[in-house]
Amino acid sequence: MSNLTQEQIKVLEQSRQRLVQLTRSLGSLIASLNQSDPLPPWTSLQSQASIISNNLISVSDQLSDQRDLLSNLVAYPGPEYPGRTQANTLEQLLRTKLDPRVEDWVARGRAAGTESATPSNFSDPDPAHKPLSDAQLAELWEWAPLEANQEARRRNWGGNFTLEEREAGIENVVTGLRRQLEDEDGEEESEGEEGDGEEMDVVGVHRKPGAAEFEFNIAPHHPHPVQPFVPLDLILRYMTTGRMP
Amino acid sequence: MHEQSLFASVPVHQHHELLQQLAGLTAMQPRHCLERRLIFKAYRKPGMAGRIGASQDLQQGDLQRLNKMLNGNMYYTQVVGPVSESDFGSTAPVDRDTQMAGMDDSKPYDSSSPSYDYERQPWKLEFRDIPEAGTRSAVTSRLMSSATLPRGDVVEAMNAWGYHFITEYVVEGDMFVLNDIAIFLHRVLHYPGGDESSLPRRQLPALKDMTLFEKSGSYVLQAFIIVQDGSNQETMKTASQHLFGLREQLKSAVLLEQADRLSLDTRAK
Repeated sequence: MSNLTQEQIKVLEQSRQRLVQLTRSLGSLIASLNQSDPLPPWTSLQSQASIISNNLISVSDQLSDQRDLLSNLVAYPGPEYPGRTQANTLEQLLRTKLDPRVEDWVARGRAAGTESATPSNFSDPDPAHKPLSDAQLAELWEWAPLEANQEARRRNWGGNFTLEEREAGIENVVTGLRRQLEDEDGEEESEGEEGDGEEMDVVGVHRKPGAAEFEFNIAPHHPHPVQPFVPLDLILRYMTTGRMP
Repeated sequence: MHEQSLFASVPVHQHHELLQQLAGLTAMQPRHCLERRLIFKAYRKPGMAGRIGASQDLQQGDLQRLNKMLNGNMYYTQVVGPVSESDFGSTAPVDRDTQMAGMDDSKPYDSSSPSYDYERQPWKLEFRDIPEAGTRSAVTSRLMSSATLPRGDVVEAMNAWGYHFITEYVVEGDMFVLNDIAIFLHRVLHYPGGDESSLPRRQLPALKDMTLFEKSGSYVLQAFIIVQDGSNQETMKTASQHLFGLREQLKSAVLLEQADRLSLDTRAK
């Protein structure tokens, strides 16, 4: 086999760099998911996801554009390769079959890809996963808003719990929230007994990840917090230049 | 002079508590202030105006430095005038010259009624450079300078210096002093109605008619230290350390941070 031309080497180098970028952005997403507590805000997760998907697109473009070249390339160790000391790397490089785990992923990806490519596959053995036809979708869209509205009208809005939840006992409701939701009715009953005790400042206690001591939050929890609409940067910018945000 | 500062955004529901916390921390009552702030923008470079002669006595290096200073960037600059609550919604004082003799004899000039006289309004020119880039300490540090202007109408003088009037607003807030740190908890008020007048207002509307720039009414907390000699690394370092100390003390109430440098960009483009 002839040696690679400069351009072919360039293509390989480009693919490598795109893959490096992809692994790097995946790594940073994993790190931010692992390390930050509470989870990072959804905006940052979303931007990271879009970066990853852009990286994926560029990798897949690169791979499909250079398909001819990449599928014809064969790797072999040169005579000066330190085969004894770097045997593991050599095995990785010469491997032609995929890792079994990776093979599973590829198979799953292929299956998902063919499924979405043939949407009206009536021979699907599992009817629960059969996609809706256009007419069915239209029917669903027509039905859902009215029905949702009617369902909403049946309920008495306001308060933190539904009637059903209250009847079943609010202690059993799994809200998933860390702060305690107070039940309005319950508060009215207990107010006579506790009097001004209710007015006491709530002190938040939370534990920092990795820190042994608790941290007390003396910023009082206001019953009606109003977060600023205009971020500080824009206020300062207006104050500096008079430019409206 | 250099100004080192830290900023924080304070939601309106926290304002009252923070005022009390700051009063406790600084052991002083808040000093309420109201300021008119006029924004001016340079429209031409303040050049050397063709003065080529008489430059022999300047050293070459000095000349270059001077040229750079004069022909450098153009900037936004602020003219700040303190006002009082009674200035708002009051009428202009009756000009005695226009009163005809004998007309108002029955009603002597009532000097006790509140009045706002634009011609007597004191002003201060406040220049601030864009914050320094890439400073090692995490405080906003910027070159600043201020000068007292003559009372009354400043637009003419500013025009002569190459600045034209952009807009004006009012800053309402409370001032605290803790050792060498000044703490200013403030927010921006807009004049009601059409905002784009080409000249500063001669009359101030009633304070209750002023509208909030930030609709929820949130405040900006600025803690700053003014360092006389910005080239002295030692004092600059001490100042930023004092600010960090304050940040630690206020940590559980508000988070003081360095401001985004570009949001304080005063360069006119």
